[in-house]
Amino acid sequence: MDSREMVIAKLAEWDIVPSEEDLAELVPAYEALLKSQKVLESMLRTRSMGNAMEFPLSEPAVIHDMGRYR
Amino acid sequence: MASTAQELAFSSIEALSARIQRKEISPVEVTQTMLSRIDELNQKIHAYYTVFHDEVLEDARRAEQEIARGNYRGPLHGIPMGIKDIYEMKRTTCGSQALQEYVAEEDCVAIKKLKDAGSLILGKTATYEFAYGIQSLKSPVEPVRSAWDLSREAGGSSSGSGGAIAAGMAYSAMGSCTGGSIRWPAQCLLHVGLKATYGRVSRRGIYPLAWTLDHPGPLARTVKDSALVLQALAGYDELDPASANVPVPDFTAKLDRDIRGMRIGLLADLYEKSCDPKVLEVYDKAVDKYRSLGAEIVKVPSIGIPELEAIEWPTLWSEAAAIHVRNVRNRGDQYNPNTRQFIQWGLLVSNAYYMLASRCRSQVRDDLNTALTRDCDVLMLPTAGFQGPPPVAEESPGLNFIGSAFEIYTPIFNFTGHPAIQVPCGFDSDGLAVGFQIAAKPFDEVTMFQVARAYEQSEPWHTMHADI
Repeated sequence: MDSREMVIAKLAEWDIVPSEEDLAELVPAYEALLKSQKVLESMLRTRSMGNAMEFPLSEPAVIHDMGRYR
Repeated sequence: MASTAQELAFSSIEALSARIQRKEISPVEVTQTMLSRIDELNQKIHAYYTVFHDEVLEDARRAEQEIARGNYRGPLHGIPMGIKDIYEMKRTTCGSQALQEYVAEEDCVAIKKLKDAGSLILGKTATYEFAYGIQSLKSPVEPVRSAWDLSREAGGSSSGSGGAIAAGMAYSAMGSCTGGSIRWPAQCLLHVGLKATYGRVSRRGIYPLAWTLDHPGPLARTVKDSALVLQALAGYDELDPASANVPVPDFTAKLDRDIRGMRIGLLADLYEKSCDPKVLEVYDKAVDKYRSLGAEIVKVPSIGIPELEAIEWPTLWSEAAAIHVRNVRNRGDQYNPNTRQFIQWGLLVSNAYYMLASRCRSQVRDDLNTALTRDCDVLMLPTAGFQGPPPVAEESPGLNFIGSAFEIYTPIFNFTGHPAIQVPCGFDSDGLAVGFQIAAKPFDEVTMFQVARAYEQSEPWHTMHADI
C-alpha cells in the first residue's frame, strides 16, 4: 500500500473522505510523519529494569491518582 | 501631566496606572482614546472582530467612580484590554465560519479575573481559525496586518491581540499559546509575549486547541506590564484538571534587582545551526548585553529542530483532531481548507506515536529541569530562527511546513510546560523585529521576569512603537 492509499484508508476509519486538494497536502505530510517516528525512536533513552517503576508523568492518569483532580 | 493622544495610546500599563491612581487621567478618557483609534484604524489592521463600545464606556465610568471614592483595585483598574476571540465572552467565533452564531453563556475564568482586577474589556480580537488555521487573502475574514508595515501580517495565532497593541488600540491583550501563538506575534510586533508555567492560569472557558499544550497569556508592551497582568490571572482553579494548586507569588518582587552573577544557559543545540544569520546577529548582541550586565553565559545541551518537530506537531494535531473530528466529518466545508487538513493529518498519527512523543516530552522536560537546577538559573534562545512577519499571503501555507525546516523555537516550552517570555531585542538588517526567549524553572516566573526586565531596561526597544 503506498502513502496515498494509506492516508485514504486511515481517514476512512473516521468516515472521512479527503478531497484531491486535501490529499495533495496530506500525502507528503504523512511521509514526513513516518520520518519523525524514526526520530522519536532514536531519541528515547531506555531505562534500566531497576528503574522500571519510574513511569513518565505524561502517561495517562490511573484511577488511584484521581485524587489530584478533586 | 499633559500628553498627546499618541503618547497616551502607546503608554505602558505601569505608567498609565500610576496616572489613573493619582487621578491625573480618568479611565473614561483612556477608553475613549482607545475607541477612537479603533474606529479609525481597525479597518486597516483588522485586529478586532467585535468592539464593546457602549459596555466598555459604562465599565469605564464605573471604574472612574470607584477610584474617585478611593476604591482603587490595583494596577489594572481602568486599563482597557483586548481578548482573543477563543475566550468565552459574548459572541465567540474562534475566527471560524463554523462558529459565527455562537454566543457564550458566561465569561471564561480568565476574563472574570481580569474584570475583578478592574480591567476594561474593549472587544474580541482576531485569531487564526481555532488558533491555528492561518488566514490568507482568500479567507472569509481579513488577515490581521502589522502596524509597522501594512503589507505584512501580524504573526499568529494571537494575531488580533498583537495587532491591536501595535496599533495603539489596547494596552495589553490576551492570547493563547499552543506552539508559540503568543511569543511569535509578540516578536513580529516588538512586544513582550508571556506563557506562564502550564497550570498557572486556568484554561476553563477558552476553546482548546491541544489540551496538554495550551497556555493562556498576555501580550503587552513591557515585562512589568506582563507581570501585572499575570498577577490578575494566576491562581488555582479546581475545575481545570491541569490547574496547579501552588502559591501565587508577587510577580514583580525581583523586577528591579540586578542580575550580576546569575547564569544564563543557552540552548544553542536547538538554534545555532538553523537560525537565519540576520536574526542570529541581533540575538548575539542581546547575549553580549547580558554579559555586560554581569550574567555568566553557559551552554546547556538540548534537542535539535528534528526532535522538537517530531514531538510538537503530531502531538498538537492529534489532540486537535480529537476535538474537531466530528465537526470536520459533518461540516468540514465550514473550515478553512488548511485547518481541515491539519485536523485530518492529526488523525494519521498513531496511538503508539502519540505515546512515544509523550515519553520523549518527559525526557526533554527532565533534561531542562536538570540544567536549571545544576547549570543555570534561566534558559535563553531566539524566539524564531527566521525573519518575520511574512507578507500577507494570497493563500495559506497549509501543511507545507511539515517535514521542512521550520525554525520556530517556541514549542519546546509548550511541551515541557516551563514558563517562557519573549523579549524584543531590536531589528535585523532588513528592519524586521527580532526577539529572544527567557525560560525558568516551573513556577519560577519571578526569576524569569527579573532576567527579562534587566535586558529590557538596558535597551530602548520597549519605548518604540509604530508610527500610526
